[in-house]
Amino acid sequence: MTMRLFWGVILAGPLFAQLPEPVAKCQALLHHGDPGTKACYQALIRSTDSLAQAEGLWHTGDYKSANELFRALTKSREKDPVSRVRWGRMFLERGQAPDAKAEFDGALKLNPDYAPALLGAAIVAGEQFEGAAIKNAEKALKADPKLYEAEEVIARVQLEDNSPAKAAEAAQRALTISPEALDAMAILASIDLLNDKRDSPWFAKALAVNPSYGNAYAIAAHFFMINRRYEEGIAQFRKALQLDPNLPAARSALGIALMQLGYEEEARKELETTYNGGYQNLETVNSLRLMDTYKDYVKFKTPRTILMLHKKEADLLKLYFQPEFERALTAYDQKYKFKLSKPVQLEVYPNHDDFAVRTLGVPGLGILGVTFGYVVAMDSPSARPPGQWHWAATMWHELSHVYVLEMTNHKVPRWFTEGLAVYEETAASPDWGDRLDPGTISAIKGKKLLPVAELDRGFVHPTYPEQVTVSYYQGGQICTFIKEKWGYDKLVSMIHDFGASLTTPQVIEKEFDLKPEEFDRQFNAWHDPRVKNQVEHYDDWRKRLRDMGTLMKDKKWDEAIKEGEAIRDFYPEYVEMNSVYERLSEAHAGKGDKTKALAELERYSKLGGRSPESLKQLSEMQLEQGRKKDAAATLERLNFIYVEDESVHQRLGALHMDLNNPAGAVREYQAVLAGKPLDPASAHFGLALAFKATNRVGDAKEEVISALEAAPGFKPAQKLLLELSAKE
Amino acid sequence: MRIFSAALLLLLGGSLLQAADTYYLTIAGLGGEQEYEQRFAGWASDFDKILKGEPNAHITTLSGAQATRANIEAKMGEIAKQAKAEDSFVLFLIGHGTYDENEYKFNIPGPDISATQLGVLLDKIPAKQAIIDMSSASGGITPILQRPKRVIVTATKSGTEKNATVFARYFVEALRDPSADADKNEIITVLEAFRYAEGKTAKFYDELKRLSTEHPLIEDTGKGDGVKSATVENGQGIVAGRFALLHTGSAVAIANNPEKQKLLKQKEDIEQQIDELKYRKASMSVPDYRGQLSKLLVELAKTQEALDK
Repeated sequence: MTMRLFWGVILAGPLFAQLPEPVAKCQALLHHGDPGTKACYQALIRSTDSLAQAEGLWHTGDYKSANELFRALTKSREKDPVSRVRWGRMFLERGQAPDAKAEFDGALKLNPDYAPALLGAAIVAGEQFEGAAIKNAEKALKADPKLYEAEEVIARVQLEDNSPAKAAEAAQRALTISPEALDAMAILASIDLLNDKRDSPWFAKALAVNPSYGNAYAIAAHFFMINRRYEEGIAQFRKALQLDPNLPAARSALGIALMQLGYEEEARKELETTYNGGYQNLETVNSLRLMDTYKDYVKFKTPRTILMLHKKEADLLKLYFQPEFERALTAYDQKYKFKLSKPVQLEVYPNHDDFAVRTLGVPGLGILGVTFGYVVAMDSPSARPPGQWHWAATMWHELSHVYVLEMTNHKVPRWFTEGLAVYEETAASPDWGDRLDPGTISAIKGKKLLPVAELDRGFVHPTYPEQVTVSYYQGGQICTFIKEKWGYDKLVSMIHDFGASLTTPQVIEKEFDLKPEEFDRQFNAWHDPRVKNQVEHYDDWRKRLRDMGTLMKDKKWDEAIKEGEAIRDFYPEYVEMNSVYERLSEAHAGKGDKTKALAELERYSKLGGRSPESLKQLSEMQLEQGRKKDAAATLERLNFIYVEDESVHQRLGALHMDLNNPAGAVREYQAVLAGKPLDPASAHFGLALAFKATNRVGDAKEEVISALEAAPGFKPAQKLLLELSAKE
Repeated sequence: MRIFSAALLLLLGGSLLQAADTYYLTIAGLGGEQEYEQRFAGWASDFDKILKGEPNAHITTLSGAQATRANIEAKMGEIAKQAKAEDSFVLFLIGHGTYDENEYKFNIPGPDISATQLGVLLDKIPAKQAIIDMSSASGGITPILQRPKRVIVTATKSGTEKNATVFARYFVEALRDPSADADKNEIITVLEAFRYAEGKTAKFYDELKRLSTEHPLIEDTGKGDGVKSATVENGQGIVAGRFALLHTGSAVAIANNPEKQKLLKQKEDIEQQIDELKYRKASMSVPDYRGQLSKLLVELAKTQEALDK
């Protein structure tokens, strides 16, 4: 969800002075929603001033001509930043933030202190949730203290950061500069609505200035959406469009919101209206394209689940996703002591860009799953290279959100719901969930963890590249701290507190009788010793891991082992590529010491290592030692990471048969078949044996016939067929 | 696979089980870098080891410094003199290939050997032939070497796919992995090995989310382009489907036992009936098809049981 619907329409106050007088006059009419606005802009088209002409074309909807004229203007007025900024504002209004940014940057090259350009840069940064938004807005204010729009940007960013008091202060400052600052009023109205007020006097005040100011409701909708209060957001979007049907960005956002919540038919209608009206931004186009592919998906329904899988992998994924889906819901029913009121829809996308479009309307999203109330969208295990992530942990993470959002009526700060979801991943199984990563160690070292009361900022407006990841980690650690010190029930109580509209500081005080600052102090006292070793040794570990790599390359096994064992416990959580465990295992194997090689891979697996190759190797080693049960458990663990490997299912099926677990074998051979194997005969035969072991003789015979259909000369299958036929 | 076995074998008058000699020549060309040198030599050595147990096999491997044009010409000349029309000749090419719009060349120590030069040598060998070119740019070899009933397998779809390939790795694996024997007749044919290696190669790129830089093809009709999937519709795979690369069980011994000939004939008759039934599958109801299939399969299983006694 981006922010572009709020900006670029209204411009009043000091900047008027820099625009031709007729333009300023039209802007004032626009600001007030005056019926004469259109005629005013139409008149500008006939102006002899090119900038006025461009403004006229823009505001009468002839964007193509306006674009050409702005382009010509910026060429003919090379040293003039005004036309660049105005062109940028038109781009912003049309949902083309990168083009807008280029023009604002161009203007700032001409004049680094040009306040409208700084403001434009602040708006673009705000749209893209970049930390530079406030910095640029403050620079703009320094250059022009009367630029109230800059205060509006600050207000908006603060409210996105879940700091309503600071947001209200900035909005009030904007109103002090200009009592007709409409967006400031809309932000104050949004604060009221977010506080569960049914209405806000600020709407009336804004409409008194401009009776058709639909953006007031669109702004409120935006804040509901980013606070995951989707249904309320949709209601506000509808109000906005009722007041002003000519808000294509709001209509597009409404369409995307409807798509996110699974209202496919209505979503398509709104998005098509937007598209056919000429507003063809990326989000609209991508969402429509994605919806066109829905025919390629199949839905599996149970009383409390709807599993939506792509047809090409549905047979395979259903075997693993459906039971895990049910298991997670059963666990959360008990943990949260709460029953969901309707089925949860889980959508699984084999193409990561489709998932990203489903989520934000644009591809390129770096996350794995997103929850929209009762609808969860996530990457398929096949969407990323094997071993990059743990699909089951992601599923549990997102399903935790479903409960927390529902229990709080979507009134929960991001840090808490994310932190609890991160906690739940590892609570489901200790080897799940993400480990302490190098970026987080650097952040801890640089003392960049945020106070709990401000932690939302780390999610919404990160100020350094890893901050979102660091904030997930910190949220998870805070929930772990609470669970360890006060017990899990406190976390459940906190869910209810947030549902009762308490703020983070209020919840901290209520549940722990602590001021947030004291909570932070206690958290740090708990957390710091847990990461002290890693933080202190990180640089040394990093250098020596590199050195170990060189020793490995030269096959200097003894030296590599000595180095690896010396650094392994400096940073034991590191189980990503080139982990010490995998290297130590290789070095021990190089020396012929299979026992130690196996022990290192077992450490790796226990700590959450996810490389399919290493886990398969571990399973082989366990099997070599006759530890079939452990070998099967390792492959079961791998199934939660990557399910597309036919050889794993084949092997696990055989192991389950050996371990007298024919039900497990049935699932595994079904998985082999679902993957359209190169050797279908063996898979059918394996499944036949598993069915036979579960006394499903009819199914067994069907499978053995299928095996022989593929390979009539398959002797073991022939024997089984004769055996089964003799029983008839 | 079955569609190319019993029914078509009878049609073509051949058998996978016939006892004849097979000449295998593996050439591992220049690697350029140590990593590739080792990889190519390792694969060649793997072929060598796997084929050692093959009955009536004549195996030659030219690897690294031995893989000169003079040695290749000498060895292929020797095979041309020894081999008969009923024999088989399999050429494995492992390494780097190049293509310059007109001609494919296989990189070896000294002057490279071109597809045209290979073609001259191959044309002198009277045996049935399978050329398994696993090098980069190997797709460029097909238009030059294709002849009726000569099987050509290439790692790439054209001469313009010039990156180093992984196809050879999976072709070697096909001869080791029992699952490559899709019809479980204890014989891995060129077609089965190709299907296995092609599938694994595609999966390799798919899993790593990398753009595939090799697209293996097979061609055995002597005309047109190679295909990724040999089907009845495109007519490809008939020769490759009866070209045995490796025997993995007792099938040859049984075939050579005169006492079993009657049962063997009975078995082939049933297999033919099964193939014919499969052709009619689309026009039959599922219960009818499965019922008839089940009956034939039981008969076949009993016949095989008698053969194995």
